[in-house]
Amino acid sequence: MTSENLQGAVRKLMTLDGNSVRNATSKMDLAPRIEGGLAYATDQRHLPGLLHGAILRSTCAHALITRVDTSRALNMPGVHAVIKADDVPGLNRFGIVIRDQPVFCDDRVRYEGDAIAAVAADTPEQARAALDAIEVDYQPLPVVSDASLAEQQTAIHSSHEEHGGSNLLVRETLECGDIDDALSRCTVIAEHHYQTPRQMHVFMETEGGVAIPDGKGGVLFRVGCQSGHRDVEQLADILGVAREKVAVESMATGGAFGGKDELTVQPAAGLLALKTGRPVMIHLDRFESCRAGIKRHPVSVKMTTGCDAAGRLLAHKVEAVLDTGAYASLGPAVLENYLDHATAPLYRIEAYRVSGRLVYTNNGVCGAFRGFGGNQATFAVESQLDELARGLGIEPATLRRINLRSPGDAGSRNQTVRWTAPPADVLAAAVASPLWSRGDTDNGRWLTGTGMAMGAQGNGLGDGLPDSGGGRISLSPAGRICVEFGFTDYGQNIVESITRSVCNGVGCREADVEVVLGSSRGPDSGPTSASRSTVLVHGVLASILPRWMDAVRGHAARVSGQPEKGLEFGPGGIFSDGRQVLSYRELAESTNPGGMTANASQDFPVAPDSEHPVGRYLQLQIATVARVEVDRITGRVRVTDLHHVTAAGPVIYPPGYLGQIEGAAVMGQGMTLTEDMTAHEGRYQADNLDQYLIPTFHDAPLQRVDVLDNTPEDDPYPVRGVGELGIEAVAPAITAAIEAATGVRVRRLPVDPGDLLVAMAAQEQNL
Amino acid sequence: MHPESPRQAVSFAKRFRSPYIAGGTWLQPSCERDRQWPVQLVALNPDWPEFRGIRETEEGLSIGALTTLDELARHPLMALYLPQLNGLIKRVAGPGVRHLGTVGGNLFAGGDLSALALALDTEVDLVGSKGSNRRPLTRWLPDRQGGDLLRSVSLPDSRGWRVSLEKLGYRERFSPTRATVACVHDGEKVQLAVCGEGGPGRLTVTEAMLRDEGIRELTDLAIVVDSELETLGWHDTRLRLAVRRMLESGLMELTRDV
Ligand SMILES: Cc1cc2nc3c(=O)[nH]c(=O)nc-3n(C[C@H](O)[C@H](O)[C@H](O)COP(=O)(O)OP(=O)(O)OC[C@H]3O[C@@H](n4cnc5c(N)ncnc54)[C@H](O)[C@@H]3O)c2cc1C
Repeated sequence: MTSENLQGAVRKLMTLDGNSVRNATSKMDLAPRIEGGLAYATDQRHLPGLLHGAILRSTCAHALITRVDTSRALNMPGVHAVIKADDVPGLNRFGIVIRDQPVFCDDRVRYEGDAIAAVAADTPEQARAALDAIEVDYQPLPVVSDASLAEQQTAIHSSHEEHGGSNLLVRETLECGDIDDALSRCTVIAEHHYQTPRQMHVFMETEGGVAIPDGKGGVLFRVGCQSGHRDVEQLADILGVAREKVAVESMATGGAFGGKDELTVQPAAGLLALKTGRPVMIHLDRFESCRAGIKRHPVSVKMTTGCDAAGRLLAHKVEAVLDTGAYASLGPAVLENYLDHATAPLYRIEAYRVSGRLVYTNNGVCGAFRGFGGNQATFAVESQLDELARGLGIEPATLRRINLRSPGDAGSRNQTVRWTAPPADVLAAAVASPLWSRGDTDNGRWLTGTGMAMGAQGNGLGDGLPDSGGGRISLSPAGRICVEFGFTDYGQNIVESITRSVCNGVGCREADVEVVLGSSRGPDSGPTSASRSTVLVHGVLASILPRWMDAVRGHAARVSGQPEKGLEFGPGGIFSDGRQVLSYRELAESTNPGGMTANASQDFPVAPDSEHPVGRYLQLQIATVARVEVDRITGRVRVTDLHHVTAAGPVIYPPGYLGQIEGAAVMGQGMTLTEDMTAHEGRYQADNLDQYLIPTFHDAPLQRVDVLDNTPEDDPYPVRGVGELGIEAVAPAITAAIEAATGVRVRRLPVDPGDLLVAMAAQEQNL
Repeated sequence: MHPESPRQAVSFAKRFRSPYIAGGTWLQPSCERDRQWPVQLVALNPDWPEFRGIRETEEGLSIGALTTLDELARHPLMALYLPQLNGLIKRVAGPGVRHLGTVGGNLFAGGDLSALALALDTEVDLVGSKGSNRRPLTRWLPDRQGGDLLRSVSLPDSRGWRVSLEKLGYRERFSPTRATVACVHDGEKVQLAVCGEGGPGRLTVTEAMLRDEGIRELTDLAIVVDSELETLGWHDTRLRLAVRRMLESGLMELTRDV
């Protein structure tokens, strides 16, 4: 790294420490959050006439259903309704990308947990007792459990024309240049297999909510979800009613991370509500959530990467298999994002062929999860770079520096990219991390090591998916500036960042702003996913606020008789010469309800001039430096420090930024060290959080988050979303650190302490 | 069922084939997992004589089976007799479980305390329908029956003994036990025990070898430990390697400065 380079980086580098966070933390929303006082969907047990629903789930991973008899259950105490496949008035299928998942299985179950029937009863206990009384006869079928062999086995969706005959759901290849020629010119080639786990989201609030019938054939859903508007479409089709008849309010949701993007309890709750004419709540317990909930796609990949003697990357070949489980959910989109990240977007590579296959198996269902396939790819890509650096005998950072793209360069898919900082500056800041100066030590028992990895991430839904969203601003009758978006607040505290943006734009106080989220009757902002909300909020506010403020100012001039030119927005109302002339309340009272309203929507920015829209236009970067300790006696790994250098545009709300990066990183640490929902013959091997082990506070490392913002002044979308960035490079940084400590490279996650110990022991013997 | 006396508890347990419940921290998740709740549970009462608390005896210490893990960790007598225990207990479950969970429940379930208790030659005091009987833990643990009611455990006077305890989990805290290893040196001989994924057990063959060959001649230790662990039911070779190294490290700690 040149010193100018470092200077350039350091000029705009700041650390988000406790002070910057404390000073920026508003008291507004924190207490109810910490005390569990927010009104969650699953708290609504006070609704008059509420019934409790429960879902009967398959006990077989793959079987034909030969009989379902609900007659006994119907006569159980407290039971009001029992429904199954033939009770679905509309489409007995759902799925965001492909509607291949039955609400209730009719002829076949495809995973252990597939829904077969549902019950509504006076109490949850009665509902569960009735489930036990439903008789189901199965005729077991061979279980497709190994994703790599799935295509050779009989298709589990053979009845579907669109993928009849094969368990291959999607195959996709991205290509650039002549891979064979490039490979033939490589001086060093690394070829390795990598495996990443089936991770579970482990949100605090398990899937749940209530469906409330309106007595006129419609249903209001109050549920934990991520995309109320999209859910309305699917639910109306299932219930067999017009879309106007269905509304979704995603109130505060107790965590989602992608796991509530797909429909969860809504179809069964909605059908039961229509059938009984009473509100029905379904709330999965942790066992059911583990068994039936969506997971992260496990990926098995072979990567062949080569460079010339000067370290220039020439060739990169990828063959990946993603296990989507029994149904597609968002799998095709995850595959697409995986492949994009597998092209190594930060680096110039002469030729690549990156292909992936998404296959059906009977191993549960996988779908959206923070990182969305990208972090699985980055783990393998960054590990490959370390292998090449070792092959060449140079520092891993040097190899990266040789190959990093520069601002102005196109992206790996030849798309235009809006960079937030030169990638070399991000690398330079990571190389300057104080964690390196502590050195790799050996105190006899604990071996310490430091490693680093980089990652890139694009905001937005990705290639070819319709991606737009809108918002609304108005003056409420109570005189508050009411801002509405369709997004859900599931802990990321988007309310706070919207409030901040409005206060900054308008010049008012936090108390003047009211944020309303998550109603499908409000503006459609698109899903709360893909790190897209912050970008859209900023874009919509940038377009809406000036217009709305002009209109309000004009109205204020008419009401107050003051010249419009001298009127300014301020805390509590409109000011002229530093004196308040009208409060917002007086303003609201002087107009018809809904009179001062402005709407705006925009398409999510994608790379212009590409033949097909390429999503990775708004690029973010991260470099994570990890420091670990490895126990020589047991092979156990402790992550003691993580230092992230992030380049994701300006920070709007420091606590939110820090929370997202640190939280995502700990999630990445879990996937690296302990988390894996393994399946044996289609049966998950863990069923609760005493078996599926996420990091505890004692496992969480010390973290430092630096922000490097060199976003060009003329960037029209300077504000980016950081919901997923923090997870991107954690796994390869930790495995690099483990290698620095022990000399052993781990390519299969989560790191198995037993395997690591055996490898360390073998090395000791060779010494 | 709330029996009036320990003897009545034993007879209820036998007659109704119902389990005893102490803190319930092991029973509750087990029943939830299997979705099978016993029709009746026999509640144990900490007010029954000798069932709760820690007291000095002529031989050493007597610990009531219904003493909670928290009480055990905080008790001044434990700090005197077994100062090493506190570090281990911090790594047993979480605060909520330690607040309710009992010594008896932990031993019955083969929990983390069992390695230490085995290595210390602990004796168990059992209530029978006809009277009490006292047995070495090493004999009771392998074939304990559901109807056995544990009143208390007796520990030898371990003041001045060298004790090394180590738990291997999957994560720093609140982790299921992969392996817990206890090494005890009473001034004359070494006593070793394990518990965890392969089950609780005393390593008597290894102890004999150490007795015969001395603590500093550990050349064949690896082979002996490995085969003894396998015989006890520890089938994962990688975990055996870790346990072997934990034992070696424990022994080093015991013999340091001796
Ligand atoms: C989340 C979680 C984490 C845990 N982590 C650990 C851990 O890290 N290490 C560990 O060792 N354990 C762990 N446990 C297991 C266990 O709960 C504790 O070890 C606890 O000590 C058990 O005691 P209890 O009184 O709650 O037992 P109970 O649940 O009441 O009973 C357990 C069993 O022992 C029997 N029993 C109880 N008392 C007696 C008695 N006096 N005589 C005869 N039989 C009796 C019961 O019938 C039952 O079969 C964990 C449990 C949970 C829920």
